[in-house]
Amino acid sequence: MAEDLNWAVGGEAGDGIDSTGKIFAQALARAGRHVFTSKDFASRIRGGYTAYKIRTSVEEVQSVVDRLDILVALTQRTIDENLDELHDGSAIIYDGERSWEAEIPDEMTAVDVPLKSLAEDAGGAIMRNIVALGAACEITGFDVEYLDEALEKRFGGKGSQIVENNKEAARLGQEYVAENYDLEHLGYSVETTDNDYVLLNGNEAIGMGAIAAGCRFYAGYPITPATSIMEYLTGRIEDYGGHVVQAEDELSAINMALGGARAGARAMTATSGAGIDLMTETFGLVATSETPLVIADVQRSGPSTGMPTKQEQGDLNMALYGGHGEVPRFVITPTSITECFWKTVEAFNLAEKYQTPVFLVSDLAMSVTEQTFPPEAFDMDDVEIDRGKLVDDDEVDEWLDAQGHFRAHAVTDDGVSPRAIPGTVDGAHMSTGLEHDELGRRTEDQDERVQQVDKRYRKVETAQEEENWDYREFGDEDADNLIISWGSNEGALVEALDYLKEDGIDVRVISVPYIFPRPDLSEEIEAADDVIVVECNATGQFADLIEHDVLTRVKRINKYTGVRFKADELAEQITEQLSAEVPA
Amino acid sequence: MSSDVRFTDFKSDKQPTWCPGCGDFGTMNGMMKALAETGNDPDNTFVVAGIGCSGKIGTYMHSYALHGVHGRALPVGTGVKMARPDIEVMVAGGDGDGYSIGAGHFVHAVRRNVDMSYVVMDNRIYGLTKGQASPTSRSDFETSTTPEGPKQPPVNPLALALASGASFIAQSFASDALRHQEIIQEAIEHDGFGFVNVFSPCVTFNDVDTYDYFRDNLVDLQDEGHDPNDYEAAKEVILDSDKEYQGVMYQDENSVPYHEKHGVTEDMSEIPDGAPDDAMDLVREFY
Ligand SMILES: Cc1ncc(C[n+]2csc(CCOP(=O)(O)OP(=O)(O)O)c2C)c(N)n1
Ligand code: SF4
Ligand SMILES: [Mg+2]
Repeated sequence: MAEDLNWAVGGEAGDGIDSTGKIFAQALARAGRHVFTSKDFASRIRGGYTAYKIRTSVEEVQSVVDRLDILVALTQRTIDENLDELHDGSAIIYDGERSWEAEIPDEMTAVDVPLKSLAEDAGGAIMRNIVALGAACEITGFDVEYLDEALEKRFGGKGSQIVENNKEAARLGQEYVAENYDLEHLGYSVETTDNDYVLLNGNEAIGMGAIAAGCRFYAGYPITPATSIMEYLTGRIEDYGGHVVQAEDELSAINMALGGARAGARAMTATSGAGIDLMTETFGLVATSETPLVIADVQRSGPSTGMPTKQEQGDLNMALYGGHGEVPRFVITPTSITECFWKTVEAFNLAEKYQTPVFLVSDLAMSVTEQTFPPEAFDMDDVEIDRGKLVDDDEVDEWLDAQGHFRAHAVTDDGVSPRAIPGTVDGAHMSTGLEHDELGRRTEDQDERVQQVDKRYRKVETAQEEENWDYREFGDEDADNLIISWGSNEGALVEALDYLKEDGIDVRVISVPYIFPRPDLSEEIEAADDVIVVECNATGQFADLIEHDVLTRVKRINKYTGVRFKADELAEQITEQLSAEVPA
Repeated sequence: MSSDVRFTDFKSDKQPTWCPGCGDFGTMNGMMKALAETGNDPDNTFVVAGIGCSGKIGTYMHSYALHGVHGRALPVGTGVKMARPDIEVMVAGGDGDGYSIGAGHFVHAVRRNVDMSYVVMDNRIYGLTKGQASPTSRSDFETSTTPEGPKQPPVNPLALALASGASFIAQSFASDALRHQEIIQEAIEHDGFGFVNVFSPCVTFNDVDTYDYFRDNLVDLQDEGHDPNDYEAAKEVILDSDKEYQGVMYQDENSVPYHEKHGVTEDMSEIPDGAPDDAMDLVREFY
């Protein structure tokens, strides 16, 4: 199991918690350490508590755990919220000069640092969090120079004076602790390596994947936690000749993206929660007009406004079945941050090859978690682009009917029709949400209706045969215990394997990135004694699908508190479920 | 674009199924003529049609076209134009499509000032669903769902456009073929969002806003010496609810279309075979 250090900074919303945490995470990444971060908007009490948590190790880390070693607490609430995770060896950095009396359990080490005064000495009270980072460096024996690099990155744009002041603030914090405390007995140390890591979150990976895949048009409407995809693309996509437009609502956003796609651009939209409900209106049109469109849903807790900043995997049924009538589609769910990148690339290829909507279903946990990777994990040379049956001026001729009309919805063996985009000579045609003939013109002829429905579903069948719909696999392939999961639970499951192994429990983990079409798991399920499906929702939407596929009952682990699974918690629940009865 | 394009090139070989005498025949003819006259051809034109009797133009015209979801034609047109500034985009639909279910999009399309034209075939009724009140129906107009009239004032689409910061506002009458075509042409040629509300009578369900009514009441701004560049004068005619005007009410001489303001000039359909050459820079940003 990874030798890890668990660190957090917490306070009120508006205390600069996020940027402080990110600076420390970046410093650790610069030092060649792996980092996995999480954000606590969760409040067990009330009000604006927020925290940024970092788990770091020289080995890869891909989950949070229920343990906190060092906590920078800007408020008493930060301490109270985390009492369960703090332990006897925990150190809590706080500012005793501030108005609150810190109540810190005796077993823990209270490190009282005059954050505000030291920050003022360095040039301004605003840098008090940076003083705390310097203090944390001292407790862990982490070289502040790594912090310098992160500070340069963060404040470089604001001028060298600001950077220098911040470096000074960090040093004052470090020196204060060195002079006033002897904390070596706590035994914290931070080993460094020569490795270079990049640090990014799932939404940034989706945005980067979109640009890499040739997406040039993005239309969206702000909604947590999808907005950061739009923010990532804004200011970057332009460098590649693209554009981001903020629509007046999601009804508009998806239709703008559809317009961009019909005009020949690789186009996408992304949303969450209520936004995907509004977009549902247009799902059918995307499918019947056979428009290649990528629709990302970064799931958050619902229904309705639900818990907008909390984790949930509750939209699976919506992605599979949303929209009236029968809407052919692909549903892909990246299982990690690197997969957010690669599955986005794949989504654009699938959309264009099969002229079908592709739902890229990610979730809040992945969207806010920053994780380290070697840069080769995003090797751009491996990005392949397949535009499918896009025809040019010369190829159009093959697809004209006797009167010279372009057969945009030609009935073909594989179901895929040629695609001509505006400007292609003789390619002019209409597409519509009405049932239509091969030319795209309205029809209610029974034979033509059946032909068009069949050809649209034949595309899905072709894709099912031609493309890869495999699962990812971890743990012991021959184990009797099979755990199945989708989406972002993969990392916590992989780490849970270590805990289970310690207890002598062997487990095979299957992590499924494709919901429709999806891999056939009958053999794997047949071979296992115990099958548990893990997901972040109350009803077990994926478990229902699997039971439907293989016609056997499975056990379920469901979490819908709004907080993602943690590795240690998951190991415990798996152990519990293994001895439970299969539901009747 | 070839110079020998004729307006009939924009006609599909589907025979319109509109009721004989429907205003949409004239409205569509003017659109096709204006497109041809402004040097466009079907392969470089994208028409987005709304849902309604009016929306059927997508089928009766020949060009690249999308006939989409009720009320969402403007967003589709916006997307097409942003991705392909080289393509002529014309959006058309009914008064219900544009001012009721799509009213939100109308306001924002006007503000955005994307360089396309928007033709609303205003018959002051829901034609396709067989005669219910539309947002431009008179307050005492009796229909199956409003037996005593809607009892609410009709929307003034021109004023709505003006209030939203429009750069081009015009109105025409389907039956005045020449003027109608001219006005649509001006909307196409305008650098920005060219909005034309067209009186396009429904002969089946609207016995008030008829050809005769418009013929008797229409005042052509051209004959009145109206200066469309004069904002105050435009405001006056737009807010004058006693008369039915035809002509260009307002045109902002300094209109800067969206693509110029935002530097959106590239043909976005063209992309490399793999990731862009310098794409690794995107990864390095995360160091
Ligand atoms: C979401 C949705 N609601 C309702 C309808 C039914 N519907 C079709 S056309 C229409 C109104 C059309 O009125 P208008 O836009 O004025 O077009 P017209 O037929 O008068 O040309 C309605 C309500 C629909 N197609 N979609
Ligand atoms: S119902 Fe009215 S609007 Fe529709 S086609 Fe007939 S006349 Fe035209
Ligand atoms: Mg109407």
